[in-house]
Amino acid sequence: MQVFKLFMKILKKNIFTSMIYVIVFIAISIPMAKSAAADKTFKDASLKIALFDEDGTAESGALREFIGRKHELVELADDKDKIMQALYFDTVNYVLIINDGYGEKLAAGETEGLFSTYHMHDSYATVMVSQLLDSYVSSVRGYAAGGSDLASAEAKAADAVLQEAEVTIARNESGGVLSSSSASYFRYLAYILVSVIISALCPVLLKLSKKEFRFRTNCSCMKSSSYTMQVFAGSVVFIAVVWLIMMVVSVIQNGGMFTGNAWLAVLNSLVYTLICTAIALVICSFEPSDTVVNLVTQIVGLGSSFLCGVFVPQSMLGSGVLAAAKFLPAYWYVKAVEMLGGSEKFDGSRLAMYLLIELGFAAALMLIALVVNRVKYTGAAIKLPKLAAEPQK
Amino acid sequence: MENTVVKIDNLVKRYGELVALDHFSLEIKEGEIFGLLGPNGSGKTTTINCLLSLLSFDKGNIEIFGRKMTPVSYDIKKDIGIIMQNVVVSEELTVRENIDYFCGLYITDKKLRAQYVDEAIKFVGLEDFTKFYPKKLSGGLLRRLNIACGIAHKPKLIILDEPTVAVDPQSRNKILEGIQELNRSGVTIIYTSHYMEEVEQICTRIAIMDKGRKVAEGTKDELKRMIKNTETISIEVLGLGEDILAEMRALPHVYDVKYDEKMLVVSCSGGKHNLIRALDVLQKHEVGFGRVYSELPTLNEVFLEITGKALRDKED
Repeated sequence: MQVFKLFMKILKKNIFTSMIYVIVFIAISIPMAKSAAADKTFKDASLKIALFDEDGTAESGALREFIGRKHELVELADDKDKIMQALYFDTVNYVLIINDGYGEKLAAGETEGLFSTYHMHDSYATVMVSQLLDSYVSSVRGYAAGGSDLASAEAKAADAVLQEAEVTIARNESGGVLSSSSASYFRYLAYILVSVIISALCPVLLKLSKKEFRFRTNCSCMKSSSYTMQVFAGSVVFIAVVWLIMMVVSVIQNGGMFTGNAWLAVLNSLVYTLICTAIALVICSFEPSDTVVNLVTQIVGLGSSFLCGVFVPQSMLGSGVLAAAKFLPAYWYVKAVEMLGGSEKFDGSRLAMYLLIELGFAAALMLIALVVNRVKYTGAAIKLPKLAAEPQK
Repeated sequence: MENTVVKIDNLVKRYGELVALDHFSLEIKEGEIFGLLGPNGSGKTTTINCLLSLLSFDKGNIEIFGRKMTPVSYDIKKDIGIIMQNVVVSEELTVRENIDYFCGLYITDKKLRAQYVDEAIKFVGLEDFTKFYPKKLSGGLLRRLNIACGIAHKPKLIILDEPTVAVDPQSRNKILEGIQELNRSGVTIIYTSHYMEEVEQICTRIAIMDKGRKVAEGTKDELKRMIKNTETISIEVLGLGEDILAEMRALPHVYDVKYDEKMLVVSCSGGKHNLIRALDVLQKHEVGFGRVYSELPTLNEVFLEITGKALRDKED
């Protein structure tokens, strides 16, 4: 097992960069999963509003009470500089001054000159409070016009405007077998697997397949098949460990073991791991330098991730991008993950087709690596010599 | 009768239109230090690569230890040690681990391997560097590590392909002494180089290669006898007249006389007592002379005369 041991030693020396990918991915994926879970609750926004009542009537008091029911009323000195400062430092979102004569104007059905305000231009708080006041004043006028006295119109308007609708966050989870956080995890896995496997496996394979090193090994009595098998075993152990780590993290992130069809996501990731290994083999067959390997890792990892919907759902990508992405294995991997995540209706036969296409990519890539290697070593291909009868010159 | 260890018969190797080996034949006996001498590009490394079945060849036959060599002749390969032109070690392994790795390609018994590795380390004098990584070693120490990796499994035939390239004189001497020591222990050596002095110093038999062909073969004395010049006599002398030079040219075995007003150079081909006869001519004419040198031809001169060019003309 000399070659296997050497494989592991070279891997050990080159694993650091790859581990950074894994650690960063794990560090990011778990908080992301938590935040995805937190997104399921809805809370109505409450603003900090400073209110100055220059009218001092029952109507202005009713308005103060109305605003206080939804928002937080903040005490603030009636000083322009301090008001501006409070708005600037966001200790107050909106400053409302109920102008003198508000009560009379409201009773008369006037809507102009009721309020003066200080606010940040074009802020969402300004829009919210302006709409709230408009709704309130319009409702009061409506109830008053309907025959209610002003006090009851104000009360009815306040109830009507502040009526809360039940909010549910709509998600496209039509029959998904994976939670949305798990689906996100498996989607991002496409990037991390390709990056880790290329960045760690390529340097090892390149060193072991270096011409002089192979020649030196071929001089020994170790059979070529034994050498190849040991390199293969090393590669299998490495990718299996990487994949298992990712699966353990996915279980932790999922909050428990997968059940039912969710295991198909695990199978999908295993198939994609094979593709990543095949990509690494193709890259190695061209014998690039370490710098080129790093460059290719970034191009393949980021490029296929952006094109195939790893970072953003495929539904948000343009049709042209998706048409091009179909020629990349990551597209089919993500498509399978999105189906399992519920973006499209689960269909076992279609999922099987996606997996088969991925396997097709893996086989094609392996074939390319084999062909390139064969062409490359044609000059040094070992074949038995033919005897010649020609005399020496 | 000595056994034939290596027999190369009519080997032809082409790279497209380029003929790297042109009907090359060779026979190396057990216990020899056989030198393959030739400029870069003459076919030395191609010969070695064909010998080890690392390269296919177009025509010919190779036998090692009396058996036909093929890429799957593992029983033959186990008795061959190779020290390549370039240092082939793993940067990720220490000195000891590297030797153990290469020895492990031949020896599976861990205990025996540990003993062999220790012996190889001692042989090349790397005892103080066993835990060093290759990048911490100097060029000379790296070469020694390269040699240790090639000999640790105690092969019967060792092939050294220019092992002293870019090595300081001290390390070079140590390497050459080591090779001679290995040979004394019964190992047959094939040594390729374009350094004449090394080949002359250690090789018992030499083949000179040029353009993929063997242009001469023999012991160094045999090779030197193959060329016209067998002795060059140089005498510091002033004011020689044309009559004395003519008398010199008429001496037996003298085929060339050159004089530049200070130094008389007489080239001889064969014969004995050439120096005495030349000095007799000067004494007869009562000509005083200074320092006198008599030099036998070097391998460089042999190569120059056989191939028509200096050995190092084509160094990369």
